[in-house]
Amino acid sequence: MTQPPERPASTHASTPAQRTAPPSGHADGASPASVVDVAGLWVRFGSVDAVRGIDLEVAPGAATALLGRNGAGKSTTMRVLAGVIPATGGRATVGGLDVRTQTLEVKRVTGYCPDVGGLVPRATPWEHLQLAARLRRIPDGWEERARDLIERFDLGGAAHRVTAGFSHGMGRRMSVILAAFHQPKVLLLDEPFDGVDPLGVEATMDVIADARARGAAVLVSTHLRDLAVQACQHALVLRGGSAVAEVPADELRGEDGARAYRALLD
Amino acid sequence: MPTAPSSTDELDVSTLRRESRRAMTDVQHLFAFRLAGLRGRARHAAPIALGVIGLVTVLVSVVPAFVPEYDLTRRDVLILLPSAFVSVVIISVVSAATSGGGRELLPRDQAVAFPVSPTTDHLGALLMAPLNIAWLLQCWAVLGATSYAVGARGTLPLALLPVYLWLFTATSMAQALAWSVEWLRRGPHGRLMVRLLTVGAIALAAGLILTDNVTPLLDRSPTLKIAVGVVAGMNGGGLQWGGVVGMLIWLGLLAVVVGAWLAARVARRPARDELRVESSSRTTRGNPASDLVALLRTDRAGILRSVPMRRGMAVLALFPGLVAIGGSFRWDMLGIFPGLVASGGALLFGVNSWCLDGRGALWRDSLPVSPRLAFGSRVLVLSEILLVATGVTLVLAALRAGLPTVPQLVAVLTAAVVVTLQVVATSLRWSVRRPYAVDLRSSRATPAPPLVMVGYSSRLALATTFTGLLFNLSSQGGWATPLLLAVPFVVWSATKLWRTSSAWTDPATRARVIATVAS
Repeated sequence: MTQPPERPASTHASTPAQRTAPPSGHADGASPASVVDVAGLWVRFGSVDAVRGIDLEVAPGAATALLGRNGAGKSTTMRVLAGVIPATGGRATVGGLDVRTQTLEVKRVTGYCPDVGGLVPRATPWEHLQLAARLRRIPDGWEERARDLIERFDLGGAAHRVTAGFSHGMGRRMSVILAAFHQPKVLLLDEPFDGVDPLGVEATMDVIADARARGAAVLVSTHLRDLAVQACQHALVLRGGSAVAEVPADELRGEDGARAYRALLD
Repeated sequence: MPTAPSSTDELDVSTLRRESRRAMTDVQHLFAFRLAGLRGRARHAAPIALGVIGLVTVLVSVVPAFVPEYDLTRRDVLILLPSAFVSVVIISVVSAATSGGGRELLPRDQAVAFPVSPTTDHLGALLMAPLNIAWLLQCWAVLGATSYAVGARGTLPLALLPVYLWLFTATSMAQALAWSVEWLRRGPHGRLMVRLLTVGAIALAAGLILTDNVTPLLDRSPTLKIAVGVVAGMNGGGLQWGGVVGMLIWLGLLAVVVGAWLAARVARRPARDELRVESSSRTTRGNPASDLVALLRTDRAGILRSVPMRRGMAVLALFPGLVAIGGSFRWDMLGIFPGLVASGGALLFGVNSWCLDGRGALWRDSLPVSPRLAFGSRVLVLSEILLVATGVTLVLAALRAGLPTVPQLVAVLTAAVVVTLQVVATSLRWSVRRPYAVDLRSSRATPAPPLVMVGYSSRLALATTFTGLLFNLSSQGGWATPLLLAVPFVVWSATKLWRTSSAWTDPATRARVIATVAS
């Protein structure tokens, strides 16, 4: 297989002219050590380049949205950062750990809500939490926080039900809980709002806000521009596996933001 | 693609005719759709596999006729044919009924986007019935036996025609019966009623065996008429032969129509068993004491809480045991049973182990745990399930096998461990090499495409039967011989498992498997 270049020559967001905001989540331009640091990320599946040289930084306490059409490379980027798929080229560090060589350690500091499903069909939500708590070495007493989250996401009545019978929205809400309940340094939420009711959206927003408040870096991948703008301070717009713009989320707000976003997708 | 009729459509002969034509056209569309979905090697392998099945069918129909008559005379085999014909029905009923109405031409999760009518579903299930190694072996055995009984003569095709028709008729009848069982299962108290029926059938079979009434009953089997048709065909056809052929065609077509009618009734009832499990609540257990216990719990839940897995394992544990009781197998032959059970168990889910996590696979892989430990958990769970099923079979088989000698007992127990390891090692290697995205919630789903399953089952059956026979023979050399014989097998399987485990630790390989099963 031909190796991709370490740094592709034409990554839009890498060119200073097109950076309209500092890469970190700090609007004042201060650049504390980024928790998520991605440079020239490249992922190839067979003959398809799913991600083509993305650069990305997320500072502690910041939330960045990954926006773009289907197949833009959002979920693939998230999967690389979660340590689920290896990158073909480039560099990705999470909490100072190299995703390629310190995968297990990276998994310890991240919380990942996958874009599809995310739940083992014949296990209950509580059993998912027990598995995660055990493997993540969460000290005794985690149950209280888990119950609180389950209640906040309105899944109290389904905590001991097999997840195969869950609706899509229930599954999404539970996936967010599983990503967040161990209070990870990096919260990776892939399509967390997809098919979720307004109460679930509100609870997810709270989870993102809580994570930021305790200094975690948050990455949210979504098609829903309005919610992305609401949840994040920055947005990275991807197209065909490349970053085409990195803008303050506010610039994508309202009618003007919708037009600007639309223009970036074509 | 044409659309299925609405339930409010009037049902008359012309509607039925139109629906039949639609269903047949739809089956062609769906079959073409499945073939178009094959990628890479599978695209070339599918026609080859179908060609091999066809070729073997022709060979077993012709070659035995030219085999010289031996101790087992052609007449002896001819006398046994009616019983062999019954076995085709039994294997077809068991296969179709345990899989909730037979295999689907298009998996349920993919079929939701298309208006697939129950008649199409029924015809598809009939079309898929031959893609089952147990059915194929039984049919080949019957064809081979008939061919041998008839001998090399010009009328062989005429003699074989009733048998070919019987294979079609028996399968159609079994399919209709399977729909009836499924209809009952989906009704009020369905699970209980089906269980009572099963227990009743087992009790009846046990009663017949214990009172030595099996042979007299088989002597009065209606399948005698088919044997009469075979003999008539052997003698050049005639009215009797025509009568049997006509009756089989008529019965077969009737079974297809009745089956379609029953399939429509089944489609109107929700799959209660599956829905009940999917919405069931589970008692909370204490927190797991170790990483391995946590992984084992999740892996076991994937199997033990699945309706098709539980049903399949119960059949696999009980059916061979009952066959062993019925056939009065002695201890020197029991060594082949562990292989049959282990192969069958692996074919339920083991050959695509990671598909049990479904879309939760991505999340599970994001958890911080050593890939080797996660792999080890799969190995343990698959091994324990296969060993439990094998244990039940051997206990049942031992009931009429008499007292074993020490070497015989050691040989059978060693064979059980060896073939289980063999099957686990092979299954996990296939799971890592060729994963498939499969929704195993449906009783009718298979862990890999049907044609692939035929390949898997033949390879497993061949390897484990050979191993079982070797261990049967080894008991003649004293108790230490089976143990010594086991050493190379265990080393081979352990090496294979270690290599697969190493492949699993490769992030790219793991990502491919996880992305496939979660898609």
